Amino acid sequence: MTAITQTEKKKKVLIPEEYRPVFGAAVFFLVMMVAFIGSAPDVFLTVGIYTAIFLSLPLFTIVGIGLVYITAAGEIDISFPSIIAISALAFAWTLEQTSLNFGLAILAAILTGSACGWVNGFLVTRLGLSSLITTLGMNFALVGLTNILNNGVVRSIYDIEESKFRAILVGSWGPIPAQMFWSAGIAVILGLVFHRHRFGIHVKVAGDNPEAGRAMGVNIERTKTLAFILVGVCSAITGILAVLLNSTFFPTMGDGYLLPALAAVFVGGTPVTGGKGTIGGVVIGAATVVFIQTGVVAAGLDGYWTSLGFGLVIILSLIGHRRFSGKLTR
Amino acid sequence: MDQKSDSPIVSLRNVNKSFGRVFALEGINLDFYPGQIVSLVGDNGAGKSTLTKIISGTEDPDAGGEITIDNEKVVKWSAARARNRGIETVHQNRALSEQQSIYANVFLGREKTNRFGFVLRKEQIEETEALMRKIGYTSKVWTPKSTVNKLSGGERQGVAISRAILFESRLVMLDEPTTAMALSEAAEVMDFIRELKKAGKSVIFISHNPWDAHMVADRFVILERGRVVYDAPKDDMTADQFIALLHKFAKKDAS
Repeated sequence: MTAITQTEKKKKVLIPEEYRPVFGAAVFFLVMMVAFIGSAPDVFLTVGIYTAIFLSLPLFTIVGIGLVYITAAGEIDISFPSIIAISALAFAWTLEQTSLNFGLAILAAILTGSACGWVNGFLVTRLGLSSLITTLGMNFALVGLTNILNNGVVRSIYDIEESKFRAILVGSWGPIPAQMFWSAGIAVILGLVFHRHRFGIHVKVAGDNPEAGRAMGVNIERTKTLAFILVGVCSAITGILAVLLNSTFFPTMGDGYLLPALAAVFVGGTPVTGGKGTIGGVVIGAATVVFIQTGVVAAGLDGYWTSLGFGLVIILSLIGHRRFSGKLTR
Repeated sequence: MDQKSDSPIVSLRNVNKSFGRVFALEGINLDFYPGQIVSLVGDNGAGKSTLTKIISGTEDPDAGGEITIDNEKVVKWSAARARNRGIETVHQNRALSEQQSIYANVFLGREKTNRFGFVLRKEQIEETEALMRKIGYTSKVWTPKSTVNKLSGGERQGVAISRAILFESRLVMLDEPTTAMALSEAAEVMDFIRELKKAGKSVIFISHNPWDAHMVADRFVILERGRVVYDAPKDDMTADQFIALLHKFAKKDAS
């Protein structure tokens, strides 16, 4: 007994348990980077590839952060790709209608995302539906709604390229795209909320033992609904950035986010079983995923290798987290 | 001690609870006074847990009955409101979130925060530490920051009990607090219940163990099939007499 106690203490001093998933994800990321640099040093030791990666990385990071909340709350949301699209439509449409009123357009997108999240939350918490199936249905429904509302048009709003708001939101700050700073800011704020705010604690309790939360007077239904709304808001922000980057809205805007963003959550060390999660982890997880997407092609491999890379990374990182964080990660 | 001179903290008047056509509780009239330990006993399914859930606000009674706190009728009763009125419960399942830290569990639903809702971590950790030391749960293996899934059954109960006394509680309900506990741990819980009484709190103690129930009680309430069938002070009733009484009701119930 004392022997066990001592080894436990030694481990704790090395890396406290709560930071182990982040640490594990970081080690994994570094190993992958070393492999990339080793296989294609001419590509990965130049600035160009990083600028390219930093353009899209924030979009995955932001939506991934929202997904950590809902996963920790014991639910899942797979409707976010279509929330990205419909919020992007709200943003682009409002810009067109108001001759580029950015404030209103951002508000419209975020309200749209929140409304979608609220509907998910209502269906899951008030009607007791499974979140997997509910959000699967919502994903289809919102794709349909986006196409109906948009009426098959591709909305190009090249006027915004002159706008100073666009420069602030997605311009370049030195060699680094502005959205990197925005996503870093969002990660810091939502990381503090997740790990240090009352709401973050309630989210984790909702995913771990909702009955305990209810017995102690925590409104579990409201907490979960707010987590769904947060996914909606994060998706809307990603949608806004995507429209700004492309100066165009197209209805398939959210395609290609589903699996990478979910992979970022789990590669980052958030367990699928709920009750805990890590924002630092998903930031590293998103970087891992985006580097594979870009890196595989940049390293001169065929695009088909990307999927194989994803698959291997997800499984290897899961094994790593389980080994490293102990059986408690499940 | 003459409890009747104090006014009751919690009163139930004609409280019913039905699940479909089955009455879990029927016409319950009970008063709970400060400084009194009530042992609530009865067979499985007699309605003990349902009664505690109604008092603690996690289960709604059927319409028509009345709950009063300090002679004031309550409306829209909920777990959060019950706790605000000083009613704390140590639930049978302990109601702990095992993947969270000890201090997060102790302050669950009552977090100490700054005005933006961010948790005052240091204060919560220190208070948790002081509290655990006070009730005798100390360890070199874990700290308030450890997660609950590292603790033994008794230690988990310690966390649940700490939570019940941390705040200005006036009525503490303990639902089977000594199940799955080592004897020494159970003895500590019984001591702790006496301390609550000394501090002038009202205690409702639920146990399957008739000796425990007899030992600490000032008053016995026996439930059978959702009804109160016995409610009287202990006076000089011995443990043997108490057990004989329980058997009498159990037999009646079986016939």
